[in-house]
Amino acid sequence: MTAAEPDADLTLAPRAAAIKPAGLRRVARALGMFARRSPLSAFWGCIAALIVLMAVAAPVLAPYDPLKSDFRAMTKPPTERHVFGTDQIGRDVLSRVIYGSRASLTVAIGAVVFGTTLGALWGLASGFLGGRFDLISQRIIEFLQSFPDLILAMAIAMALGAGFGTVIVAIAITRIPFGGRVIRAVVLSLKEMSYVEAARGVGASKMRVMLRHILPQCVAPYLILATTHLGVAIVIEAALGFLGVGIPPPTPTWGNMLADSLNGGLVPPWWLVLFPGAAITLTVLAFNLLGDGIRDVLDPRLRGAVSR
Amino acid sequence: MYSYIMRRLAFGVVTVFAVSVIVFVILRILPGDPLVAVFGMEGFIKLSAAERANYMAALGLSDPLWLQYLHWLRDIASGNLGHSFFRAESVGEMIARRGPLTAEIAVLSVVLSWLVGVPVAIISALKPNSLGDNVSRFLSILFLAVPGFWLGMLIVLFLLFAFGYRAPLAGASLWEYPVANLQIVIGPAVVLGLGQAAYIARMARSSLLEVIREDYVRTARAKGLGRRPVISRHALPNALLPVITLSGILLGFVLAGSIPVERAFGTPGLGYSMFTAVSERDVFVMQNLVFLYSIIFVLLNIAIDLAIAWLDPRIRYQ
Repeated sequence: MTAAEPDADLTLAPRAAAIKPAGLRRVARALGMFARRSPLSAFWGCIAALIVLMAVAAPVLAPYDPLKSDFRAMTKPPTERHVFGTDQIGRDVLSRVIYGSRASLTVAIGAVVFGTTLGALWGLASGFLGGRFDLISQRIIEFLQSFPDLILAMAIAMALGAGFGTVIVAIAITRIPFGGRVIRAVVLSLKEMSYVEAARGVGASKMRVMLRHILPQCVAPYLILATTHLGVAIVIEAALGFLGVGIPPPTPTWGNMLADSLNGGLVPPWWLVLFPGAAITLTVLAFNLLGDGIRDVLDPRLRGAVSR
Repeated sequence: MYSYIMRRLAFGVVTVFAVSVIVFVILRILPGDPLVAVFGMEGFIKLSAAERANYMAALGLSDPLWLQYLHWLRDIASGNLGHSFFRAESVGEMIARRGPLTAEIAVLSVVLSWLVGVPVAIISALKPNSLGDNVSRFLSILFLAVPGFWLGMLIVLFLLFAFGYRAPLAGASLWEYPVANLQIVIGPAVVLGLGQAAYIARMARSSLLEVIREDYVRTARAKGLGRRPVISRHALPNALLPVITLSGILLGFVLAGSIPVERAFGTPGLGYSMFTAVSERDVFVMQNLVFLYSIIFVLLNIAIDLAIAWLDPRIRYQ
């Protein structure tokens, strides 16, 4: 077998070779291809990357300490010194918005890594094994889906008490059924493919067929789902923060900043409302459009299949 | 058809029971002492062990868990939804007083979402990749990303600064004070309606694009029928079936979304009570409201499944 032709497939599956320079070139080529096929999504992908960078580099970027009050400048509208203004106890809003990205992204990534992944693996097993296990799994997933997801997350977050870990768990649990359903449907259609039958025919074990032949094909739908779920998780996290069951103050999150803006009167100062909300919108928009782009490039057949 | 209805209903009953177990497990078995919620941490520490035991017994919390669960089911079945720790009003009275407002918001927002979403989808699908299509697609993606409660806060602020106007904060029933009632309901309904319209426009667009390519649409055109009747009589009814199902799923979005949105507007509805219950850690109120919301969600989706079966002969004769 001559492997002279480098295969330009787009499965971004992590492989052992990815560490070698050849692997890096493959990834770079895949990204270049992605940018050429869908420049708009690549642009939004860059925005998403910038937001992630902002979260990582928050201590360098933030002009002030997000927790430090300046009692000479309380509830001040945007000025040159405080570009986004200050809140009711004189904290710099810009710094808080920058630091808020950390909470949002940590929670969203955590929820997707645990929730969507767990759901996807469950869907893989349930679709592949079938039988009674599949039947019971399907029922459990349907029961979990009979709760509106924000309400389920609220109840769990309230029962477990506020904190980073509990918010991640609460949102992750709402993601499991979606991951399970989508991946199960993909696996069911893959199971009928002739290459899978061939693998079985030459005597591959069940485990081997599942992990070597079916799992890699699930990577594309999983990636699409995970990017969309990042956006959903950010919105749920913000809503939890706004309702007072998210990450507790003084840690700045976009949601609890919006909640804090309502403290001290019926009418919140506009700069306390505008900037955190705009940050949520921009972040979610970036992840959603990136997800759309990945879907169009990786698998146009999935249009509409992963609508949430 | 008959067996389909029976199967769907039977599954609904099972689901409601499963939901009640999940709610009970989440809110009663997971860690967190309800007495801490009632008395606060300081008050809780001051209580003696005997006092704690007394209060637990009075609240029915010292029984074994399965008995507590059965008591809860019995209470619900007999219409007793319990009391808040903090308010004189019973949960049943609270739902009767505040529920209608939230129901109005939900219904109005669904109506609005169809009125906005479907025409936008038609404009989009008739001329794919035109300027109008691209604008409406961008707007729907934008509205998927905007959190409803933030949009609500912006609307409140804008109306206040531009017109010095704020919707009334006291509850007003639809029959006695229709004008005040409309002023309260319209804001949350518009915000939630636009959020749903974004999903509906996306779904209806892709579904219409698929249907337009079908043979029967070409046949209708070929027999000389005009563009308009073909779309409105042949394409739309078929394209909208999946949109009805989506609309049912979006009810979850409305029920849950109304909680932060009502907080943003200061609407005196049931969603606001849910927010109060959550922020006061009022376990019993929360338990009953979460259960109520989930039951409404499950039942309405069963109703929608039956409606689809009635509308779509392919499912009816399965």
